[in-house]
Amino acid sequence: MSDMARFQLSEAKPDLSPKRLRKRYRAEARFRLYGITAIVFAIGVLGILLGSIFTTGISAFMQTEVALDISFDANLIDPGGTRSQDSLLEGNYRKLWRDGIFKIFSEVKGRKQKRDLSKLISRGSDLTLREIVLNDPSIIGTTQRIWVKSSADIDSLNKGKTARNIIESDRKIKNHQMAWFDKLMAEKRVRLTFNSTFFSAGDSREPEQAGVLGATVGSFLTLLVTLSLSFPIGVMAAIYLESFAPKNRWTDIIEVNINNLAAVPSIVFGLLGLAVFLNFFGMPRSAPIVGGTVLALMTLPTIIITGRAALKAVPPSIQEAALAMGASKLQAVSHHVLPLAMPGILTGTIIGMARAIGETAPLLMIGMVAFIVDIPRGLSDPATVLPVQIYLWADAPERAFEEKTSAAIMVLLLFLILMNLAAVILRKKFEKRW
Amino acid sequence: MEVSIPSGTNVIIKTDITKMTNRSIDDSTEINVSSSNKVTVDNVDVFYGNKQALESVSLAICKNEVTALIGPSGCGKSTFLRCLNRMNDTIDICRVTGKILLDGADINDRNIDVVQLRARVGMVFQKPNPFPKSIFENVAYGPRIHGMANSKVGFNELVEASLHRAGLWEEVKDRLDQPGTSLSGGQQQRLCIARAIAVNPEVILMDEPCSALDPIATAKIEELMDELRQNYTIVIVTHSMQQAARVSQRTAFFHLGVLVEDGDTEQIFTNPEHQRTQDYITGRFG
Repeated sequence: MSDMARFQLSEAKPDLSPKRLRKRYRAEARFRLYGITAIVFAIGVLGILLGSIFTTGISAFMQTEVALDISFDANLIDPGGTRSQDSLLEGNYRKLWRDGIFKIFSEVKGRKQKRDLSKLISRGSDLTLREIVLNDPSIIGTTQRIWVKSSADIDSLNKGKTARNIIESDRKIKNHQMAWFDKLMAEKRVRLTFNSTFFSAGDSREPEQAGVLGATVGSFLTLLVTLSLSFPIGVMAAIYLESFAPKNRWTDIIEVNINNLAAVPSIVFGLLGLAVFLNFFGMPRSAPIVGGTVLALMTLPTIIITGRAALKAVPPSIQEAALAMGASKLQAVSHHVLPLAMPGILTGTIIGMARAIGETAPLLMIGMVAFIVDIPRGLSDPATVLPVQIYLWADAPERAFEEKTSAAIMVLLLFLILMNLAAVILRKKFEKRW
Repeated sequence: MEVSIPSGTNVIIKTDITKMTNRSIDDSTEINVSSSNKVTVDNVDVFYGNKQALESVSLAICKNEVTALIGPSGCGKSTFLRCLNRMNDTIDICRVTGKILLDGADINDRNIDVVQLRARVGMVFQKPNPFPKSIFENVAYGPRIHGMANSKVGFNELVEASLHRAGLWEEVKDRLDQPGTSLSGGQQQRLCIARAIAVNPEVILMDEPCSALDPIATAKIEELMDELRQNYTIVIVTHSMQQAARVSQRTAFFHLGVLVEDGDTEQIFTNPEHQRTQDYITGRFG
């Protein structure tokens, strides 16, 4: 009570003048302006990035095709004459489409000229024709108009990506090839269709035959391994550390090390995978099982840290209520705390997965950078993943891979958007208020 | 993780409590384990790390009575309350010594399972803390984990009976599937009481159950306590002198970690033995 007497109330009054008020309003307006500028800048940069990827990549979803009149000569296709699968696989399909294009340009003579002419058509057309024959052997002996893929250079020319007016020596398409193409155009033997190969094929040396399915399946298998390892282990570790572990020097050390692991560059995990999984345990190279395990190690700290944060965010009163009801610690956690923390844990997991799906460096170390044409069928098949595929294509010398690169980025972004959407939906679904 | 309580917990740390209080040590020997004593607390000390929160507390809590614990903030009332169902176990640095007998059995004994203890000694907290589940599930949770019913009908009956006894049935009978958190504060607290009595405990501990409630809700809960004491033994921590006087039969006054005085409520409020009790109940400090 005696303290009150010692402290006299001051005579000063608050300054409520309009000048002060205006100053405060100006400061607030300025702050809003800064915020809006920052957001506009961020959206603008993102827009430029997405816009450039989109404009470069959109054309990869279309493919130029050329109509050839193919005579399915039995002597070429079926050397054994048995019409059996094995015999049909042996056929000389290359000669089929080469004859088809030579027939259109009967005036073209000479080895070199003919070679230039055949460069208008994709070398992968062999397989296209073989597929047609295998599906329907009755076609043998007839002549059909078949649409085959053009070569990547002609595709670029048709899409207007190769300028016609630059000097000939700087072009891959020479003047006489351009003339042939124009003739094909005039005869309406050229069309632009949806490029289904891009979604149904693995990698290829020929840009027009390359697709993202192999990398997508590889990414899916890798992520499957990552999720099934890191989610249960991460959640268990988070629950134990948060709710059961004693608070002592050991748990402190573990906590510090988990935080450190989260900051370790991903390539180090790749080196670890190379040394331990490949060299020590002798696991297969380039396989999703190894890639997934390495990415799981990389994702674990993220899941543990976000999981612990989510568990910590559950009000302690809920756990106390359960304990006071006579629930055991495990019951209190599994009945009450974990369900409430689940949205946070799932969000953390999906963020970790989204990071894993975009990861390249550690996978380079364990050989997932190899050129793999086949679509992986299992966890131990050689595979590549989408970001590595993007890296490989971005590195490829052919100009035509440029649009494939952007298109693959679009596919990867689509996956990321879908995963983030899943995170939002899951969070909304499991969210409970208290 | 259970807090390490020394085995047997019969280790009594002798401290010079006469420095802290004028209550003589001999008082503790007055505790007689009579048949009407539901809980007998003998010479309990509680430490948070190196800080001592309770010193040599001895108290008898009688059956079918409401015992009020009063005292200024930080005097150890809640700590004492939480000793009675071993909720202090959940605090890592907390250490309890001394004897707490429930029906003559030491609750800190190794053979006593804490889960079973808490089923016998229920608790209602200061802030209403219903589970973020339906009203039905809130009440059915205890019976479920303790296997008190094995059919839907059995649970329905238990839930209805508990809500009836907590005086909440009429208000919620049409919306049992709505979240418990959607109720008002007073209803939530009665839901917590219903949840606690659903497992048929012998003792109910209440830690300032009305501090977050308006006078009407408070009156309802006080009325409820009076009814409940027919079947249960109730220990309540309160800051409201009037509440203690209204609801309790016995009152214990805590100050600075020691039990200064306990006795019949009427006697404590009209003719306290100690000057400090007198000062506190007349509002001269606290």
